[in-house]
Amino acid sequence: MSARPPVYVTGMGVICAGANHVGELRDLLAHPVAHFHPPTVLPIKHPSGELPVAQAALIEAGEAAGLPRTHRLALMAAREAVGAGPLPDAIVLGSTTGGIAATESALEVGITSPEAFRCHGLDTVALHLAKAFGVRGPVITISTACSSAAVALSVAAALLRAGLAWRVLAGGADSLSRLTFHGFRQLQLVAANGCMPLDANRAGMTVGEGAGFLVLETAPDERPVLAVLAGTGLSCDAYHVTRPHPEGKGAVLAMRRALADAGLEPRAIGYVNLHGTGTPDNDAAEARAMKQVFSDAQPALSSTKGLTGHALAAAGGIEAVISILALRDGLLPANTGLETLDASLGISPVRAPTQAPLSAVLSNSFGFGGNNACVIFEKAPPSPSPHPSPRYAGREDPRATTGEVPPGSGLPALRIAASACLTARGGLDETWNALLSRESTAGLVPDAAFSKAAPATFVRRLKRLPRLMLALAQTVQTASGWTTPPETIAVGTAWGPLAETQEFLRKLFESGDQFSSPMDFIGSVHNAPAGQIALLLGSQAPNLTCSAGERSFSQALLCGSLHIASGAGSALVVAAEAFEPRLSPLFEPEVAGTPLVSDGGAAFFLVPDDGAPGARLRWLGEGGNDGAVALVDRLAGVIPHHDAVVVGIPAGHTLAKDPAYARLSQLLPPATIVTYRDQLGQHASVGATAAAIAVRAVAEGRLPFPDVPIALPHRRLLLLEFGPRLTAIEVFA
Amino acid sequence: MTAQTDPLVPELARKLVDTLGLDLVPETVDPAAPLFGAGLGIDSIDLLELVVLIEKDYGVKIDNRAAGVEAFASLNALAAFIRQRRPASPV
Repeated sequence: MSARPPVYVTGMGVICAGANHVGELRDLLAHPVAHFHPPTVLPIKHPSGELPVAQAALIEAGEAAGLPRTHRLALMAAREAVGAGPLPDAIVLGSTTGGIAATESALEVGITSPEAFRCHGLDTVALHLAKAFGVRGPVITISTACSSAAVALSVAAALLRAGLAWRVLAGGADSLSRLTFHGFRQLQLVAANGCMPLDANRAGMTVGEGAGFLVLETAPDERPVLAVLAGTGLSCDAYHVTRPHPEGKGAVLAMRRALADAGLEPRAIGYVNLHGTGTPDNDAAEARAMKQVFSDAQPALSSTKGLTGHALAAAGGIEAVISILALRDGLLPANTGLETLDASLGISPVRAPTQAPLSAVLSNSFGFGGNNACVIFEKAPPSPSPHPSPRYAGREDPRATTGEVPPGSGLPALRIAASACLTARGGLDETWNALLSRESTAGLVPDAAFSKAAPATFVRRLKRLPRLMLALAQTVQTASGWTTPPETIAVGTAWGPLAETQEFLRKLFESGDQFSSPMDFIGSVHNAPAGQIALLLGSQAPNLTCSAGERSFSQALLCGSLHIASGAGSALVVAAEAFEPRLSPLFEPEVAGTPLVSDGGAAFFLVPDDGAPGARLRWLGEGGNDGAVALVDRLAGVIPHHDAVVVGIPAGHTLAKDPAYARLSQLLPPATIVTYRDQLGQHASVGATAAAIAVRAVAEGRLPFPDVPIALPHRRLLLLEFGPRLTAIEVFA
Repeated sequence: MTAQTDPLVPELARKLVDTLGLDLVPETVDPAAPLFGAGLGIDSIDLLELVVLIEKDYGVKIDNRAAGVEAFASLNALAAFIRQRRPASPV
């Protein structure tokens, strides 16, 4: 085993069809009966509405009244996971639905009040949890389709190991929605008679919902340890937008990376909880992957989606809880729904709940875009070491001196091998020159600036956001001089592919819930552009998409930095938004109310700091609640080394009420605080564009805004993004 | 098929090119060539898009693999498939 600190599981919470809490899930595993029925929470306008789903029996919580269903599911499971224990100081949440179910209802009846869409964004789910628990550190949302929760667990483990948090609430939540229900139906992936994983007559998945969360920490001292999160592995098929690689190539990579991360041989694994959706393609590819990883010594294995349904982004969280229950109680869960085993698969699942001692279990989660994630849990040691984790050995428990604020300076600066941006003026050169000429670069990116990045056949089905992102990614890959694809792809987008979402719902409503476009459904998932980038560049590297409002770019940079800190040789970080005429004004009324609506974004090809000349980029922190002021205070020591502080203030954000801004104003002379959104325009990922301009500025020694170019003798800029939470990065040369 | 071109064929060719965003002139699509796995660059997602289109515009379902193989053998085959199954077809 490596010397790095173990990540302990000290809490868990769950809700899914048939189980409202962990105890009920444990009973369900012992007596597995699927609860698949036609949905009662979705309007049924068409015979297809009679298809069975796995609907959770949500208990209404007073605090959650009026919130969309995903938010309520998340709060319920998170409250159980945290319990009466110490509060988390960071959250990593996987979600693909956010407030879409409420948005669908409002759009269908033509509601145009933006108040009806306040909880649409994926970020709002985690922000509600952050408010409930007073979370001061990073509040991250991962959206990688059906692997979201498992990827979230991986990011949470990396945060803890980097010393950026003490206690992370991590998992996933998704509710039933018409978008996902009809989307999977139109892809002919929904089984008319319920999910039958590994069955010879399997005909698809049962769309489900729920939430599953773990509390993870490196130095537990207040709660018993339930298990150890021993390792995680991420990969991308880079094969097809929805279909898995037929040989399970990406799945093999993810499992092997998780085993290597855990320092375990395949034979150490006693049970595998399969992704096992019950679609013909997934189960065949996953079975091939299992044979490659475990060869003749197959562990006990089963898919539990015949019991819980497929809760999409929540699946990895629910199955993490199932895996830990299996470990704790020595219980092998049954492959519910299986009648006639598909002998051609060559694997043999657990047919009925079986007692067996286990020391390590592995859980698979795969998603659209070929996004694969694998997590491994080991049994809790008899008495986990009560002493602080090795990282802090020899030091005073940092919690005592910092008041629960983690150091946050643990991440290394990264060298920028290439950067690019897209604005209304075009690329980086055009944008830079416009700014030098005192011209605004606000507005929509002209088609000509991004339409030629990829071959016409490659982009023929793609709308605006994936095309913008592909152009940015291709530009920095080429300019970096690296001939190998990036070893991590991390994408940030607050709103995801809105044109695809709008088109899918428009066609669905117009046809009385009968027809819509499978292509638009596939394209509507937040991680679709990241999957396209992986396909274009041929990268099977970890592929993450962060969706957290203005913090999306900062979080993508954080994910890229964490992967480089743990050994990746390069990271492609992209953040962008695409304006959509109907939805953008509803979701972001303040931004749409600006004189000139804007979109675009930026990309960076980052490598470890190898001493070569060039600019550097470093993630410094994220804070909310009183953690935002604490972040400014923590930065107070380094601020004098910066020539200026470049601040992003989203339209509609009231600075006068922002205590972190008040603290910044106390620390600094006004002339060194520079705003950029008047020049660059207002959109959620414009912070990435500002960073690309800052990179150019430190290289040239001058900042081209606000009024008179500012000289940068130290060639060092601090970038702060304000909003519901504060993020900080620095750029220097 | 008769030697005469079924008028459904050019109509389908136009819909195919429009819906899938193919960089082609509809008249150049060979009505006898396979739609899938040949030179058109059409993949399984495109076929699902066509499945929806054909049900929406012609009321004909393609909901199993065998039907898909038959329907997507070529534009001619697709036209014939639709004509055979179209409800109250105005032949």
